[in-house]
Amino acid sequence: MLPALEITDTAKRRGTGTSGEFALLIPHFAVAPGEAIAITGPSGSGKSTLLDMLALALKPDTAKRFSIAEVDAALLWQRDRADALARLRAGTLGYVLQQGGLLPFLSVRQNILLPQRLAGRIDPARLAALADRLGITDQLDKKPAALSVGQRQRAAIARALAHRPGIVLADEPTASVHPEMADTILALLVDTARESGAALVLATHDPTRAEAAGFTLLPLATGREDDTAISVLERQ
Amino acid sequence: MRLPLSLALADLRHERGLALTAAIACAAVLAPLIVLFGLKEGVIAGLRADLIQNPRAREILNTQNRAFDAAFFAAEAARPEIAFIVPRTRTLSGIGNIEIPGRPGETQRAELLGTAPGDPLLRGVQQPDGMGVVLSSALAVRLGVSAPVDLSLRIVRIVDGRRETMVLPVRALATAPPAAFGREGLFLSLPLLLLAEDFQDGLIGPDDTLPAIAHEARQYAGFRLYARRLEDVVTLDADYRRRNIEISTRAEEIAGLIGLDRNLGLLFTTIAALGGAGYLVSLGLSLWANVARKRRDLALLRLSGLSAAGLAAFPVAQAAVTAGAGSLLAAALALAVAWFVNQLPFGARAEEYPVCLILPEHLAVAAGATLAGAMLAALFAGLRAAAVQPAEGIRDA
Repeated sequence: MLPALEITDTAKRRGTGTSGEFALLIPHFAVAPGEAIAITGPSGSGKSTLLDMLALALKPDTAKRFSIAEVDAALLWQRDRADALARLRAGTLGYVLQQGGLLPFLSVRQNILLPQRLAGRIDPARLAALADRLGITDQLDKKPAALSVGQRQRAAIARALAHRPGIVLADEPTASVHPEMADTILALLVDTARESGAALVLATHDPTRAEAAGFTLLPLATGREDDTAISVLERQ
Repeated sequence: MRLPLSLALADLRHERGLALTAAIACAAVLAPLIVLFGLKEGVIAGLRADLIQNPRAREILNTQNRAFDAAFFAAEAARPEIAFIVPRTRTLSGIGNIEIPGRPGETQRAELLGTAPGDPLLRGVQQPDGMGVVLSSALAVRLGVSAPVDLSLRIVRIVDGRRETMVLPVRALATAPPAAFGREGLFLSLPLLLLAEDFQDGLIGPDDTLPAIAHEARQYAGFRLYARRLEDVVTLDADYRRRNIEISTRAEEIAGLIGLDRNLGLLFTTIAALGGAGYLVSLGLSLWANVARKRRDLALLRLSGLSAAGLAAFPVAQAAVTAGAGSLLAAALALAVAWFVNQLPFGARAEEYPVCLILPEHLAVAAGATLAGAMLAALFAGLRAAAVQPAEGIRDA
């Protein structure tokens, strides 16, 4: 099976803060459809930098190949095609953010509908099925502010999967919920992503909980070279 | 483009309180500007109408008895600056006594004024013809009559120490408006005036009637003329003085009023321009601040794959709705204020010309300028929004 995501020889260096320079090196990284990978590592190890790049929101300094759903984003970056990157995001990526990242001015239904509209794949049946699976059918016509934190994260999962993306990215999606709720939400995320055949990449500082939810752990290897903190991500 | 528009509207609906505040803020600045402009229009239109509609402002009279022949009048009547010219008789002979039939002995002196069709003083009044005359309003009041009424006009001359009177049965057809002539006066057709003059000159007897006898090369002592435009009074004034014809005009006053009109226009334009510019800047800044406030939502939209143009359209659409609502509100407010101002007693002119004159085209221009300015300002804000990086959406602020 072709990988949903394949990156080779990619590097991103960042800032010269008090902690000196930081570099994230990715010799090779691939995720197959239906897989659930949890990137772990202490804070400052580059989890967010990696997720930003995977979200096509941060341009790597060098990238030999940066294939998202068989489109090489490295070429789009080279040509500065911001709107082509936006279209690629709209068509192939789903996100679950720390606080849900729902738009406050849209109802939950409209929030979940948004990626479908942006991808041009309106599918009310899919929306209804996801809402049912995630137990938020009764919340669809409320604004996000009227929902509990746990309900909001479920809505965020529904939104991330609504347009059947090939890849789902999740950045500490359980950081702000109750621990027991966190287990439920992570399990739901893994199950629904697998059911829709999406490759799931999670950034977390909590490997135990991720493994229990069914993720394959992939720790960032960290080290130092002179003033530079180096993180390496490698998976064949 | 439909998706960003519907998102922008959804956001406005979500924050309707804030959107309403923005529209009210817009109206609060725009409404006084509209009222100010309405006042400028009303005051200047009133000033102009007053001067243009009052023919006395354009009147030119010669002040010394001279001898002008028919050729002079033909030449002057042909000049483009002159709207109307009519001969006058000698100042001393242009007097008659009016008597109401049935009340002999009670006579009233009146100045006799020759007139002809097209006389601006008698606009809208029945034209004197034959024995038909028109009363000045002061004369009608003094006589205590209202037209139409039959009167007798008595012309007196002294011949060899004897007093002779010519009695002309005239019919007052109408009364001239008060602005036409301030004193007791009687407007006569030119032949009737000349008949009276011929009698005083001893050329005809007391029993002669119209038509007056024809004179070869009749000479007239003076003229009464009206310039076509206010500005022409100033030109004609200078021209007659150069030709040594003594005249009285309101040229100085008119030159002053024309200057005042120009200065008022400049003053109002300056205030409106400053106010308008300040208004557009404040509108632009508030839209800019709005984009800063919504940066995270915009970044989320960018992250979700909305195009740069879509992001830019977001604040532009909101600005258009806000400015449109603000303009409607401002128009309603301004019309209400104008109505109120026009109820205030600002002198006699108030009933005729509104002090504050707001026309639909003024409102259209105000709304158009507001929409254009707001959308232009929002476009800059939108370009800023389009530059929002999708990565900003990932991290929660």
